[in-house]
Amino acid sequence: MDFIPHDNKTIAEMLNVIGISSLEELYQDIPNDLIIKKSNLPSGLTEPDLLRYMENISRKNKNYSNSFLGAGCYYHYIPTIVDFVISRSEFYTSYTPYQAEASQGYLQAIYEYQTLISKLTQMEIANASMYDGSTALAEAAIMATIITRKSTIILLKGIHPEYEEVVKTYCWGQDINIETCTEETLQTKINDNTAAVLIQSPNFFGDIEDVSKITQTVKEKSQNCLIVQVMTDPTCLGVLIPPGSTDIDIFIAEGQSFGISPSFGGPGLGIFTAKKKYLRKMPGRLIGKTKEINGDQEGYILTLQAREQHIRREKASSNICTNQALCSLAALTYLLALGRTGLKEIASQNIQKAHHLKMQLKKLPGYEILNKKPTYNEFLIKCPNIEYLIEACKERNLLPPLTISKYYPEMQNVALVCVTEMNSGESIEAFIDAAQSALKKKEEKN
Amino acid sequence: MDSETSLNLEGGNEDGQKNYVPKMDLEEINLQDIVPVNLLRQDLPLPNISEVELVRHFITLSSRNYGVDTGIYPLGSCTMKFNPKINEKIARLPGFTQTHPLQDENDGSLEVLYEISKLLGEITGMDAFTLQPAAGAHGELVGLLIIKKYFEIKGLEKKKLIIPDSAHGTNPASAKMAGFSIIELNSNENGEVPLDQLEFAMKEGDVAGIMLTNPNTLGVFDRQIKEITRIVHDNGGLCYYDGANLNPMLEICRPRDMGFDIVHLNLHKTFSTPHGGGGPGSGPIGVIDELSPYLPEPCIISTEQGIVCREGNNKSIGRIKAFWGNFGIIVRAYAYILALGGEGLKRVGQISVLNANYLRVKLMKKYHLPYNRSCQHEFVLSDRNIPNEITTEDVAKRILDYGIYAPTIYFPLIVPGALMIEPTETESMQSLDSFVEIMTKIFEEAKNDPNLLKTAPHCTPIKRLDAVLAARKPILHD
Repeated sequence: MDFIPHDNKTIAEMLNVIGISSLEELYQDIPNDLIIKKSNLPSGLTEPDLLRYMENISRKNKNYSNSFLGAGCYYHYIPTIVDFVISRSEFYTSYTPYQAEASQGYLQAIYEYQTLISKLTQMEIANASMYDGSTALAEAAIMATIITRKSTIILLKGIHPEYEEVVKTYCWGQDINIETCTEETLQTKINDNTAAVLIQSPNFFGDIEDVSKITQTVKEKSQNCLIVQVMTDPTCLGVLIPPGSTDIDIFIAEGQSFGISPSFGGPGLGIFTAKKKYLRKMPGRLIGKTKEINGDQEGYILTLQAREQHIRREKASSNICTNQALCSLAALTYLLALGRTGLKEIASQNIQKAHHLKMQLKKLPGYEILNKKPTYNEFLIKCPNIEYLIEACKERNLLPPLTISKYYPEMQNVALVCVTEMNSGESIEAFIDAAQSALKKKEEKN
Repeated sequence: MDSETSLNLEGGNEDGQKNYVPKMDLEEINLQDIVPVNLLRQDLPLPNISEVELVRHFITLSSRNYGVDTGIYPLGSCTMKFNPKINEKIARLPGFTQTHPLQDENDGSLEVLYEISKLLGEITGMDAFTLQPAAGAHGELVGLLIIKKYFEIKGLEKKKLIIPDSAHGTNPASAKMAGFSIIELNSNENGEVPLDQLEFAMKEGDVAGIMLTNPNTLGVFDRQIKEITRIVHDNGGLCYYDGANLNPMLEICRPRDMGFDIVHLNLHKTFSTPHGGGGPGSGPIGVIDELSPYLPEPCIISTEQGIVCREGNNKSIGRIKAFWGNFGIIVRAYAYILALGGEGLKRVGQISVLNANYLRVKLMKKYHLPYNRSCQHEFVLSDRNIPNEITTEDVAKRILDYGIYAPTIYFPLIVPGALMIEPTETESMQSLDSFVEIMTKIFEEAKNDPNLLKTAPHCTPIKRLDAVLAARKPILHD
């Protein structure tokens, strides 16, 4: 199957118009020794054969009935309307809306996305999207060095380890220094050369940080140093204070929780917001509202493109071109469908359900909650034996929590547990049961 | 904006509903008992809007948007080909959508990543691939960081990159992000790289290599390509292939055979995954054996235990995105390659070139073709011949009046008033003829009624918008 409408007669007719007699002649500019003599690719598949083949591969992944795994990618309920909207092919088969008058629908939708993200975060400006949370954070770090003309970035402990690695890679590209610290050592790390402090809250371990307090600590030491906050599950903004109510400069989030399926970690959505004064240093596309040149009707258009690579080339604020537009549309639909009532309920259930599990685990001998601060939908639990816990989860058809030693080898037998609104009371009981049986097995082995 | 498209984002229903949230089946706990009150928000200013109102809103918006499924989308360098519907279904199989990136029973996902890497290796001639980059420009950054690391580990100071003036804007922007400065090379009268200037630039000594698109943005194949890559290699540089224009080369000619060391692909161009209105895309990077240790982590390799992921290699440039790349896009591209097979891909390449040349020959009868030679998948016209000072933008806006989308305009920068046209292989002859008819009509209109073009578009939901006002007084949300 090749999705090409031409038959041989048409091809002959077209060749005739061009003035050549074979398709091979179309490639006369290519040196003959570069032309592929023999293809080693398999032959094509028909649609039913392809579907069967791909279904078989997809079944080699194991899917569980309930999940206790988060760590940057979350199982939330996706309202049916989300897939309905992003499946409209006028949206998904379009390109970046360069011709505004023929793309008003999408432009308006992304403008609405920018509006909803601004309302939700209470940040002054939001762009149209970045690739994901990790790359958006890295671009924010670079943006901070451009704004402040300083070259050191400080990462506060608790940032998603994969995000931290991405920031390091991007910064290495531009010779930006990276330092890491804890809240206790933060003040001693900040100096005249600090461009920004990067904070995750709720952090990778689940802690809800007091960002206002940290911001104050930083600003006391350096007025010019920027504060960048990141979060990996922004459903928490249904109940937690909006980042714009603190004095942070740039706020980043991974938007996968807003109506995008886990899909093995991608595509996600990089939410990028900032204070208005940084508008012209911001990476990524922006949609603006304007008017007709010879009329009064309002319309939407790609704006401030002079920051972007196709105009500024090497002087651009970033190299980003293709972003995650369709994921922004999914997030917009998700936020509109839920509304304030729904999002508040989601956030509230995430906190409460996670808290229930936390309290019950706390009662079990051998288990210890490691978080000292309040948490949203994730928390750390020290287990008697993590392999037994994972095994017991799998036996009960539960996707096990993250073994945190994958990222922090010094933290042995510690699990990062995630509970969302999707976890029923029954699944929470099943997890407790798994924890009990893991404990029993450990005792038997002793 | 008329009232039919506006949505009240300020309030909506007072009560709202919890239809999309499971019923709480545990004892309610007061949030203030869990989180200190100063960390809880007082006000959540999102609207509550009913599902029926939302569906009608989005249907109205979709009717005011143009996609490949609406008609021809001749945007040069964007490869707006048809997006097969089966791939949408495949990407939505629960085995793919419901798999967590950190779970261990993930053999299906790893198989997709491993197998498509092999196929892309066959198509480009490259030895190893990473599928992590989320878009073409992201791939460029990764490719250039690999070059940076390669020379850094060799202890060689090479801070400059050669980029021709016909290059995509992402090339110099990515070079800067990877810490390189740029030597811009002016194309010669044939739109190709001038060998003497290339050799001169390479002799500066601290040049890391060249970034090149072939066929380039004029749609022409650089006939000296082997000589170009030889000169770069002889002077200790590496050759980077921008794969944005790979479509016409499919199963005809491999970047590796042209002499390239690194290639990025745009799965959302060449391999038919939908553009989504500007993403999500996917920009895999392929490299020759010698550069494979520098690929970002994690790498997927085949071992006796099956397909596994490898981490902890100290030559790697590090991680460039959380998790595994845009997997949902990669699955669609994999399905596309399997559906077409070797023969199908070869036909894609050939027909994309056939369609472009057919349009070129017909349109050059009216419009100026600055680089007058046979093209590959695209070609570039200019506004030089159009009477009455009608600009490229006027033509583009008038095209919209005929219910189709306009070509890429004012790019490449080396053609003043450029109209860059790429029909792709999925347009029928009838569709191309209709495009020619519209373009011919517009040329006549420019002659006889220039004002009609200067004030275009007239038939779109909205008339020409004021871009200057938008930038001067930015309104970015309500």
